[in-house]
Amino acid sequence: MSFNPADHPGSITRALMADLRVRLAGADPLPPPPPLPNLRLPPERVFPTPQRRSNFAEAAARHTTALVGIGHVGTRYATDVVLQFQAELAVAHGAVDTVLPEAWITEHELLPLQSRVQTHREFLLRPDLGRRLDEASVQRLRQSAKKQVDIQPILADGLSAVACMGAGIELLEHFTKACQAQGWTVGTPMCARFARVWLEDEIGQEVGAKVSAILLGERPGLGTGDGMSAYLVYDPKIGCHDGNRNMMSNIHARGVSPEQAGKRLAALAGAMLDQKTSGVPLDLGRLGAMAAGLEGGYRAPEPRVRLVQLGAHPTGDAK
Amino acid sequence: MNLSATIRGVVYRFADVKEVLAKANSPKSGDDLAGVSARDPVERVAARAVLSGITLAELRANPVVPWEIDSLTRMVESSLDESAYAAVKHLSVGQFREWLLETSTTGPILRSVAPGLTPEMAAAVCKLMSNMDLMTVGAKCEVVVRANNTLGLPGRLSSRLQPNHPTDDVEGILYSAREGLVYGCGDAVIGVNPATDTPESTAEILRRLNDLTTRNGVPTQNCVLSHVTVQMKALQLGCPMDLMFQSMSGSEKGNRAFGISVELMDEAYAMMKAKTSNRGPNFMYFETGQGSELSSDAHHGADQVTMEARCYGFARRYKPFLVNTVVGFIGPEYLENGPQITRAGLEDHFMGKLMGLPMGCDACFTYHARMNQDELECLKVLLGAAGCSYLMSLPVGDDIMLNYQSTSFHDIPSVRGLLGKRPTPEFDAWLCEKGILDGNVPGERFGDPTVLR
Repeated sequence: MSFNPADHPGSITRALMADLRVRLAGADPLPPPPPLPNLRLPPERVFPTPQRRSNFAEAAARHTTALVGIGHVGTRYATDVVLQFQAELAVAHGAVDTVLPEAWITEHELLPLQSRVQTHREFLLRPDLGRRLDEASVQRLRQSAKKQVDIQPILADGLSAVACMGAGIELLEHFTKACQAQGWTVGTPMCARFARVWLEDEIGQEVGAKVSAILLGERPGLGTGDGMSAYLVYDPKIGCHDGNRNMMSNIHARGVSPEQAGKRLAALAGAMLDQKTSGVPLDLGRLGAMAAGLEGGYRAPEPRVRLVQLGAHPTGDAK
Repeated sequence: MNLSATIRGVVYRFADVKEVLAKANSPKSGDDLAGVSARDPVERVAARAVLSGITLAELRANPVVPWEIDSLTRMVESSLDESAYAAVKHLSVGQFREWLLETSTTGPILRSVAPGLTPEMAAAVCKLMSNMDLMTVGAKCEVVVRANNTLGLPGRLSSRLQPNHPTDDVEGILYSAREGLVYGCGDAVIGVNPATDTPESTAEILRRLNDLTTRNGVPTQNCVLSHVTVQMKALQLGCPMDLMFQSMSGSEKGNRAFGISVELMDEAYAMMKAKTSNRGPNFMYFETGQGSELSSDAHHGADQVTMEARCYGFARRYKPFLVNTVVGFIGPEYLENGPQITRAGLEDHFMGKLMGLPMGCDACFTYHARMNQDELECLKVLLGAAGCSYLMSLPVGDDIMLNYQSTSFHDIPSVRGLLGKRPTPEFDAWLCEKGILDGNVPGERFGDPTVLR
């Protein structure tokens, strides 16, 4: 049956559509599918481990922690790579989302302080409020903290309460011991919630410290949420800038250990006390090997560890 | 000039154009932080209504940073193309939006008016547009540039290969670069953010990248994103520099915080013109991003979209090969979450293209922003559909030096596949020759780094 416009004196277009409807009625819009495939297992592709990675990935791993030589399925990742990536992302997000419990601070016999921030969301959105103490904390500092000290260490959550409660508390202990060993007066141990780096200025000013040292959780990277950073400033007061500070990052078990970091930070504080300055004008040359790891905000390369394994793994923490 | 509007009997009055622009802005945490945003959604619409009636001539007369105190405002004002400006100056912002969206307003027509637009005009119309409006006009804009590659042709989507390394281990950089090339990435540039900002290491990384691309005949550009003064010294040391990079800000004060000025960039441009190893007429590469002005207290009370557009006013002076808005890197205090980062990416791409720039976008988030991987993947597809000239590309999107999440080597061929896009013609031919691509699908050697020497 063919379509002849002469049979349709009205609208040819409408007639054509009507004719198509008749002709297509009942017909499937697609041809039948091909026969079912004999589905073979795709080649197993895994997040490169030392045992299973390609020569290229093997050679690359000696120089970089970037995930290269991981292959592809179509243009996308193999399932194992997806799971590794999601686990790394979840670890980072989990560290950011954790709020430091007030009870943890008192259990560790630290003087509890808080910035002007009230909620976790506000902490992320208002760095200005995270740089100043709330009124109750100012009063607590005035009543309870030792004044006119050489060094005031301040433990703080920063962007990772997980790091604060892990490497952070160790770092505080090692740093305090290293300072006391030099015969310096060390301020009351304290811990601040919702704290940004500059909070050390107001705290140091209130207690009359020569050097203020805030030890705080650093912004998590993929697969890492346990790193601490430390920022030291000489003659702390509100209005100090980043150029007035010296810092050290990447403090955790796989980077610079809290013990090593405590010693190096004490050496840094010593240089500040000697030279009566900090930040850009501070001469780090005289610190020698103790200066290793100071300055330079970049993380050293860190071996990537496999985060996901099927089954109960004997070394894993029960959850 | 009318500065008030009434909604349901409530009269909203605004003090000046700057306040109207700020309050008309789509919600951004950075505008809240600056204290310039609308107090509620109704006031935002009132500001948009007022803005829709302001003419482009009135916007030119009211830059958000007065010319008396800002050399960038003066530069934009004195270098504006008066005949192009005359063609559009009588339009209100609302009419301008409609004219941009008309089918008869084609890419070539948009190209002809671009030199007559001030940053404030691009920012103003952006505030009246929905995300799909921004994409529709962005995709029409015609911006094609040439270095060793020809970037921005219709149906093309390019990528910057970003093989960063936390200690500048050049072997490590080269492994990432090789991996990226065999996924079809790197036609916009192979660009390294260095950990060490010295002329010697800049020159060394450039030489080694040049060895890789020359040995394998890769038609692309290499760049090390150190400070412009460091790159000038590296050029004097003698090294193959295809593109010269610098971060830019939207005010004189903001650029001072970046250690640059119009005079310095003029000098850098002249030196690059004489010494670049790239064969084409475009050889500068700039990065921008909403919020950088506020972070250096250089925003002059203006909103972050308008300040961002002012960066483009600076950038276009140097006919760049690449301009990149780094949209989610700055953190949640400026762009809080997925919707804000998505919106900012589409806004920046639109404003830059409207002003005649080859816009790329680093669609990315830091781990303390409220964005997830699925939202980021959506943004990449939206940018591709909006005609974005290029995206970034890294191993699994993970920057092991800067610790943030961006586009991956695998995302680039995926977005190209979804949208029927190809790399630059020169690079496309090279990929097909190597068997990395087979027409518009992955070839036999796709993802196989041993194809490179």
